[in-house]
Amino acid sequence: MAQAVPNPPNDKKRVKVYELRNNDWFDRGTGFCTAAFIFNEVSRQEEPRVLVQSEDQPDRMLLETRICKEDGFQKQQDTLIVWTEPTNGVDMALSFQESEGCAAIWKFVNNIQQQLLAIGGPDDALSDDIAIDPFNSPISLPTPTLGSLQDIEAQMRGLHNTQPGREALTKYVITEDYIQKLIPLVEMAEDMEDLASLHRLCNIMKTMILLNDTAIIELAVTDDLVLGVVGALEYDPDFPSHKANHRQWLGKEGRYKEVVRIDDEGVRKKIHATYRLQYLKDVVLARILDDPTFSVLNSLIFFNQVDIVQHLQTNPAFLKELFGIFGPQETDQERRKEAVLFIQQCCAIAKNLQQPARQQLYNNFLGHGLLSVINFALRHADVGVRVGATDVLVSMIDHDPQMIRQTIFRQINEKQTPLTDSLIDLLLVEADLGVKAQIADAIKVLLDPGSQNGPLDGLSRANGDLVGRSRAQPDPQQAEFVKDFYDDSAKKLFKPLVDLKDRDNMDFSVHQVSLFIYLIEILCFFVRQHTHHSKYFVLSEKLGQRIAQLLSSPEKYLKLTALKFFRNLIGLQDEFYNQQMTQGKLFEPILNLVIETMPRDNLLNSACLEFFDFIKRENIKNIISHLVENYRDKLKEITYVDIFSNFIIRYDQTQGFAPSMENSFLDTEEDTTKRPETGRGNRWESGIKDLDAQEEEYFNTSDDEDDILGKASSSRASVNGASPLSKPLVDYPSDEENENMDTDLSAGILEGADENTPPTSATKDTEKSPLLPSTLLSSPPEKVSEKRRREEEDDDEMTKLSQPKRRNSSSSVGSNTSSVLRRKKSFTNASHTTGGSGGKANKIAISLSPAIKTGGESPGSGDSGS
Amino acid sequence: MSDLDRAIAQLRACRPIPEAQVRELCHKARELLIEEGNVVTVTAPVTICGDIHGQFHDLMELFRVGGDVPDTNYLFMGDFVDRGFYSLESFLLLLCLKVRYPDRMTLIRGNHESRQITTVYGFYDECLRKYGSANVWRYCCEVFDYLALGAIVLGASSTLEPSKQKVTASSNSLTSTQEYLDPDIEIEVLSSDGGIVKRFPRQKTVKTVGGNKSSSPAKTGAPGTGASGSSGGSVGNPGGAVLCVHGGLSPLIDTVDKIRLLDRKQEVPHEGAMCDLLWSDPDEIDGWGLSPRGAGFLFGADIVKVFNHANDLSLIARAHQLVMEGFKEMFDASIVTVWSAPNYCYRCGNVAAILELGEDGSGEGIISRSNGEVNRSDGGMPGLLKEKEKVLLSGPARRYRVFQAAPQDSRGMPAKKPVADYFL
Repeated sequence: MAQAVPNPPNDKKRVKVYELRNNDWFDRGTGFCTAAFIFNEVSRQEEPRVLVQSEDQPDRMLLETRICKEDGFQKQQDTLIVWTEPTNGVDMALSFQESEGCAAIWKFVNNIQQQLLAIGGPDDALSDDIAIDPFNSPISLPTPTLGSLQDIEAQMRGLHNTQPGREALTKYVITEDYIQKLIPLVEMAEDMEDLASLHRLCNIMKTMILLNDTAIIELAVTDDLVLGVVGALEYDPDFPSHKANHRQWLGKEGRYKEVVRIDDEGVRKKIHATYRLQYLKDVVLARILDDPTFSVLNSLIFFNQVDIVQHLQTNPAFLKELFGIFGPQETDQERRKEAVLFIQQCCAIAKNLQQPARQQLYNNFLGHGLLSVINFALRHADVGVRVGATDVLVSMIDHDPQMIRQTIFRQINEKQTPLTDSLIDLLLVEADLGVKAQIADAIKVLLDPGSQNGPLDGLSRANGDLVGRSRAQPDPQQAEFVKDFYDDSAKKLFKPLVDLKDRDNMDFSVHQVSLFIYLIEILCFFVRQHTHHSKYFVLSEKLGQRIAQLLSSPEKYLKLTALKFFRNLIGLQDEFYNQQMTQGKLFEPILNLVIETMPRDNLLNSACLEFFDFIKRENIKNIISHLVENYRDKLKEITYVDIFSNFIIRYDQTQGFAPSMENSFLDTEEDTTKRPETGRGNRWESGIKDLDAQEEEYFNTSDDEDDILGKASSSRASVNGASPLSKPLVDYPSDEENENMDTDLSAGILEGADENTPPTSATKDTEKSPLLPSTLLSSPPEKVSEKRRREEEDDDEMTKLSQPKRRNSSSSVGSNTSSVLRRKKSFTNASHTTGGSGGKANKIAISLSPAIKTGGESPGSGDSGS
Repeated sequence: MSDLDRAIAQLRACRPIPEAQVRELCHKARELLIEEGNVVTVTAPVTICGDIHGQFHDLMELFRVGGDVPDTNYLFMGDFVDRGFYSLESFLLLLCLKVRYPDRMTLIRGNHESRQITTVYGFYDECLRKYGSANVWRYCCEVFDYLALGAIVLGASSTLEPSKQKVTASSNSLTSTQEYLDPDIEIEVLSSDGGIVKRFPRQKTVKTVGGNKSSSPAKTGAPGTGASGSSGGSVGNPGGAVLCVHGGLSPLIDTVDKIRLLDRKQEVPHEGAMCDLLWSDPDEIDGWGLSPRGAGFLFGADIVKVFNHANDLSLIARAHQLVMEGFKEMFDASIVTVWSAPNYCYRCGNVAAILELGEDGSGEGIISRSNGEVNRSDGGMPGLLKEKEKVLLSGPARRYRVFQAAPQDSRGMPAKKPVADYFL
């Protein structure tokens, strides 16, 4: 065996020997390295060895190790050789002074190892660097037969453990058409009911897919192979008593519906491949998927979808036929229904696309009459179709509300029924709660005067720099739009509330209750957004009084919603509304509600207390005077919390806030803090929130505790009538930002901490827990400003949150490797500082291969506990 | 068999119930939850559980180890959904059990019970996949808004009763010890089959401290003994109550009564007291610190001690952080993290734990506490202080049951249901 080996490099190479002890590189000393065949007395054989002779004491050997096939020598950088000592499992490293010295020793070691591998039987870890020697593929797997499966499985597992092994295996599988050769075995084993072989086939398939190679994965989902591949994956040895039915799901295009014939064969193939990829990701591999494979699957899906959508929307004939289905000549109702669902899916996919592509798609759809399709579908008898229509509408509105508004203007100018009116009609009659919720959302966003800025790319959304942007000039067109709305549509929308006037009985049907809840929520939104119009609308329609009636409804959650409306009003700190409430005696029913729920500690009672606590905190004098002057006895009744007696005390001490007392101690305390709660934006948030530059001061100086409750995301929500953002359900970042995120995710799992953070205030690792001075139970002095500062610096707070959904580029693999490379570098640098025992950074270098092996997926590795 | 029982049976088999039934269920749950305070009062005995995260089969394992509902009272500290493959089934089952046995199940809100978080971490997608529309997700999110923010456990015993759970044949040697329990045992750690992993006697006087410490090997125990490092016996408030929240404390909340002044029916805000209760973490720091999570705070031992003292609590139980041993007591056993999702994310390799608090038979442990019923303003403190002097034993006795992920074959195929039809 030795004859092929070149003469061992005998000239001495200066080298440092390291050994990994307790996760630190221990310096065993400096010496000279040789590699040679040494005669072993015991085995009476020549053995290849690497020796290091100490520099200081030439008679001492720092290292003497036999090269054998198990120890997996690896060359890192130019001057490092690392391996694991097979006898004791210790990780070792040789750090050479000269790269030539390293190269010479490596050449010897490498040659020996290749030879050992060639003769060494199947389950060798391959340490060869394939890139160096692309023409001499060192691996060869047995020809697939049922008998050789065990061998194949074992060899593959071995190869899968090292990066070079994986690369070699990947290449081999593709060049040898190995999947194709394996697939017939599935059926064969099934015929013979050979479960053991089926389990092996499953493992082999898994291994090949987890090689994380685009070519292999794409191959696996082609028409010819996919059934065989998922067939094998049906027999998971982890669930020996179960068999999945993947083939049933994927078989024969059974679940594919082609509403309009797609002529392009390639695109059709892509559609099927995409479905199968999703199936693989979501179903077959869900349990075993590691991060790199996950991102490879996602990016494959993403690029396919881009191609598909691009093809469809640039195909006029196709679009014509698609929208023609809604024309008078089409008689097949089922086909219309499917066409709606088809469009729904298109729009769902479009959410993932880049902004320009999405814009183009919607433009094309709108040009072909999407709105009339929506109009048709919203009135469809089938709930599924209505859901589809609202989905399409909402995704379009999320994308660009202005685009829809333009269309509505056109409708108004052409004397058609505007979409808003159709939506209102629907909201009033719709029975399906889901559709109703979507419609309510749509109405809010369409009438949101702040969101006229057109589509915002993910970056600026994430950035929180919207404050500036959204304070842009109010669009006159939008103002006109809102005005028209209040002149006419609003009356229709809120008619059910207005009609309460003549009603004494507050028992409602479920349907009515939910309608009232949506209407009140919409009204809350309008009150915050349309300061001017809504004021007079609320006043003239006496909506305050009407909603106050609902406070006596037997339905508690209706009461809660009604209460929330008033909480919104006082939260605005607008004297106009305060007067409406005092003059209308609207505090009385709320006080009654406190008294009614008083002995109990429940949600309604807490919400009431919060309401009055807000008045106390903000020291809204007019309201306090009003309460004390009119309801002193009631206030006295409520003694279980001190809020109400506090009102009386404040009032009495200041003689009803007499002018002379204006500047008394009470004022100095908190008078600086008047601020309207104009938070807004996210349609999920109740809007009781606030935040702006000067308010921070309040927060920091406040001696009251539970105020900032509402302080929400809204460093970006602006002060004054400007900018509620129309946020989509999740803000997606643009693609370029994804890279750094991917590593963050795995890092999060590694740390064991729950890495998810709410979208607006994620922090970077660099900021990890700087300690604040200990101020017991007082508000932390730094936090708010600190947080905001971070928000401004931090571009990817949003992306952090949304990235798990869209790891659609292969960048995670890239960044993984690159971070490993960085670590390696730090190893080399550190290891040559004379006498240094290699700092902490060093220990990572050795973990190079595990890091690649497991990708981001190695949470089990030790420090998961937090 | 009522519809509800049928739904429970179906969900126990890990099969989702129809959309209409979910709507009905959520409606009923809302009626119940709206009557609960922001801090629910629970009396011992109760079994406290941490994060579940959609790991349905492990939840079944939890019920197997801890005893089934309604035989055991449970308190789940949030994070029912996201990450696991069966968020829907897990949450709906818990909700069904809540509606069926309202007094025996307590559910409080975790940071994952939020619209924003669930759209990103899996629950939204799962609902969409399993029902084809987001309606069920909407119903569930509506229920999230009504969930209580915390719970107070009253009347927990300071001594351990013998374990109710059967001891399996394999651990026969332990049976004898099971029958007689030293009243001085403060902490007991049991494996999933009821075998004793570890016991910690109560620290009585300063003098015995050394002895106790040496008899409890701090670092080398079996899983679960991670607690031992700091739990040689609590110095908590004797006879005090146990506060359960998902995350931790808030600088804006210095008394439990302050929590009652929150209007909890809203999406979890990004800042403020409600946010902090669901997001904060204890940490080895002094005072308050910024949280690396970007929401909530870090708080140190001093904060916990002052809070516990001011509110007459002997212990805070919380979840929210993965602990490899399933539970972790910190700060002289004044706060404990309980984690109930074994092998988190199907890959973290951790064990899970639940915390059992026994009922105080003597009746002395049950101290009437102002929970808004009477005298809320003074927190009932004078009365409590007197009680405190009488009871000499410290904090509640704690029995942790540690368990592993459910065996693979009990899980069935872990398939996510695929989309039915596709056009694209």
